[in-house]
Amino acid sequence: MFAFLAKRTLALVATVLLASFAVFLIPYATPGDPARKIIRSRVAGDAIDESAVSSLTTELGLHDPLFVQFHRWLGRFLSGDMGLSYSSQTPVVEQVLPALGITLTLVVAALGVAVLVSLILGITSGLHEGRRTDRVITTVTQALIAIPEYWLAPMLVLIFAVKLTLLPSAGWVSGASLVLPVAVLAARPSSYFTSAVRSGMIEALDAEHVTAARSRGLSYPRTIMRHVIPNGLLPLATLLAVWFAGLLGGSVIVEVIFSIPGMGRLLYDAVLNNDIPVAQGSVVLVVALAVAITTMADLVHRTLNPLLGDNRA
Amino acid sequence: MFFKRRSAAAVALVSLLTLTGCGLNGGSTTSALTPDLNQRIVVDNFRAPVANWALESDAAYILSLSGCLETLTKFDQAQGKVTSSLATDWKQTSPLTWDFTIRDGVKFQDGTILTADAVAASLQSVLAAKVPARAFNPDVVSDVAAVDARTVRITTPSDSPLIPYRLASVNTGILAPAAYKDGTIDPFGHCTGPFTPVSEKPKQSLTLDRNENYWGGKVQLAGAEVRFITNGATRATQVQTGESDISLSIPVASLSTLEGDNNVSVLKADSPRTATLYMNNGKAPFDKVEFRKAIRSALDLESLANSIYEGAALPAVGPFAASEPWASPETAAPKQNLDEAKKLLSAAGYTATQPLKIVAIVERAEFGDVAAVIQQDLAKIGVPITIETKEYASVEPDLLAGNYDMVLSQRNRLIDIADPIGFLTADYTCKGSYNLSHFCDADYDKLIEQAAKTTDAKERYKLYANAGRILQDQAVNVWLVNEQAIDAVRTDVQNHVQDPLSRYVLTAKTSKSGS
Repeated sequence: MFAFLAKRTLALVATVLLASFAVFLIPYATPGDPARKIIRSRVAGDAIDESAVSSLTTELGLHDPLFVQFHRWLGRFLSGDMGLSYSSQTPVVEQVLPALGITLTLVVAALGVAVLVSLILGITSGLHEGRRTDRVITTVTQALIAIPEYWLAPMLVLIFAVKLTLLPSAGWVSGASLVLPVAVLAARPSSYFTSAVRSGMIEALDAEHVTAARSRGLSYPRTIMRHVIPNGLLPLATLLAVWFAGLLGGSVIVEVIFSIPGMGRLLYDAVLNNDIPVAQGSVVLVVALAVAITTMADLVHRTLNPLLGDNRA
Repeated sequence: MFFKRRSAAAVALVSLLTLTGCGLNGGSTTSALTPDLNQRIVVDNFRAPVANWALESDAAYILSLSGCLETLTKFDQAQGKVTSSLATDWKQTSPLTWDFTIRDGVKFQDGTILTADAVAASLQSVLAAKVPARAFNPDVVSDVAAVDARTVRITTPSDSPLIPYRLASVNTGILAPAAYKDGTIDPFGHCTGPFTPVSEKPKQSLTLDRNENYWGGKVQLAGAEVRFITNGATRATQVQTGESDISLSIPVASLSTLEGDNNVSVLKADSPRTATLYMNNGKAPFDKVEFRKAIRSALDLESLANSIYEGAALPAVGPFAASEPWASPETAAPKQNLDEAKKLLSAAGYTATQPLKIVAIVERAEFGDVAAVIQQDLAKIGVPITIETKEYASVEPDLLAGNYDMVLSQRNRLIDIADPIGFLTADYTCKGSYNLSHFCDADYDKLIEQAAKTTDAKERYKLYANAGRILQDQAVNVWLVNEQAIDAVRTDVQNHVQDPLSRYVLTAKTSKSGS
């Protein structure tokens, strides 16, 4: 277990470093002068004073070689200083942490809904394999996988905000503001989770120990509760971690459409405004969190399924 | 009876025009219902402050439209001139100095008195910004000083009749001395306007309360919330559902839905933005005026405005919108004339050797389609075109260096001050810093030089009109369509006057009837 943890920690550090360097390169990889891009994000318009460009370039050390700039940033970052936003001149950490809190709320709520929905639908579908209920559930969940968020979000807004006026169309004000974005974010993981739970249930139903339990005289409901459902849910742990990590950085569309000031929108605005420190801080935090969560999920999986550890041995 | 009917009809017509709103002045909303002083309203704005309320940045627009930030002068769109605000009068005391008299009896929202010292300190901080505002920077203003308790003197490096215009720019808004601490700006409680900001949800909204001590009279609303909604469709939806009372900058795609809603008034005004086909005048075949004119004659601007812009833009009459006071009154949008275009092509001695390239910048999604329409129109006269879509930042060095054929872009003529001098100088004079067209004409430069020194606005506007005529006669570019600023307002909002530049939205007079 110690070797596993050490390996994963090394992977975490390497991934974060790689990700931060990749983000660091974004403004240089795209054509155009970074200083001009930064000025445009502060002062709208096209005609830019060349002296302002030159003084900003000097002030931010943009003349220095890329490696020197990255080294400078990394040194500060390791000492806990994420730097100042180019656009607002405020500490990056003051922007990133509140945004992370909002996105975490959104993602946890979406995954909570997805788990609840998938448990109900996946178990029902698994227990009725091949029958009409199973076919209906499978068709609906497969259809949800195919529906993109940028289509589903406006449709839900049209129905629940414009036509029925039951829910707010955007914003991050009250509990009601959560409903539509959570519904949109939960749609696809619900489908994948339902499919995974269904498969797990069907597999568990065919397992020898379930047949043995039934032959020992255990009632059908008890067999399902004790032997089928717990085994059927195993794949969910891994899927949950993968989706958690994915949604942390993948909620951009939902956050932009619903005007939610989370990590996705922060990152989107930072890239648009060439606010490199904010983009770096956001990406590094999201990547670190994603790797940490998948590591934890692996640990949980290993604990629940000791065979994985034996294989390694 | 006859007169009564006529006047009723006239009132109805005026009301209709006012409600639908048209022209540079923007539309407005009026209502006979009694305003409810306890009402608060919500404004959906299209941008969020990115620069921590730095006045040299676009954050100044947000503070201004929120009714917090005020300037020494104000540009009255309806009258087309600079009017008083925190300064009551001003005069040019020497070729290089202007004196502004500060209004008496004005208090900042923190209770301190507006003095000449406070004004000078506020303006000096704008001058000292790392990235200074285009309207007010050390290139155009060399010093700001308080002469006495009520007079502020602005010194310029050269004769500058446009200083009152510069001081109408929102970037020169005046804040109390306490707003400037540790290199940051805190507008909370430090403005002079009808609304006091009380709380901010970063990237989300700014909440404001009525300023009970406003110098400009009783404020008709209890307060307001300005939301930062960057997605246009969301802004349109919110005004439709009643979540917002005023939504600024409505996308064309939402126009028909809102126009069909009885609870919403859609206001339109000519914006100072003209979608333009820039041509590289310094490079063959565009170095021949006949060729440029041929390109212009081949394009069908009316169908472009109706198809791609779905009627939310008007065919351009030249470098200015027709409703602007400096637009030449006799100009009309060029009509497509393919025969004339072919004659001009042959006069230019053009033979199609290789396709010419149009760069469509990706920041404006519609430019890809506009380029395709231009490609079709030019194919009819035998000018082959290829289209390339690029990010503006990536193409800018080539544009400035003159390494391009044509580019589709647009400029805000009035982005720094409510006068086109900056645009006409930067974009079209021989030494212009943003002369993408690489156009150079001694007569044009002489006119602009003269205009820059002309104090009388009417005379200056005449010079601008003449300069615009030269640009049009020389077919420097093809000005395609003039975009419209579109706002949507709930019908219970009263006394709202649309500003095409979204500088003034919440005012002391803005009100809302009781529900």
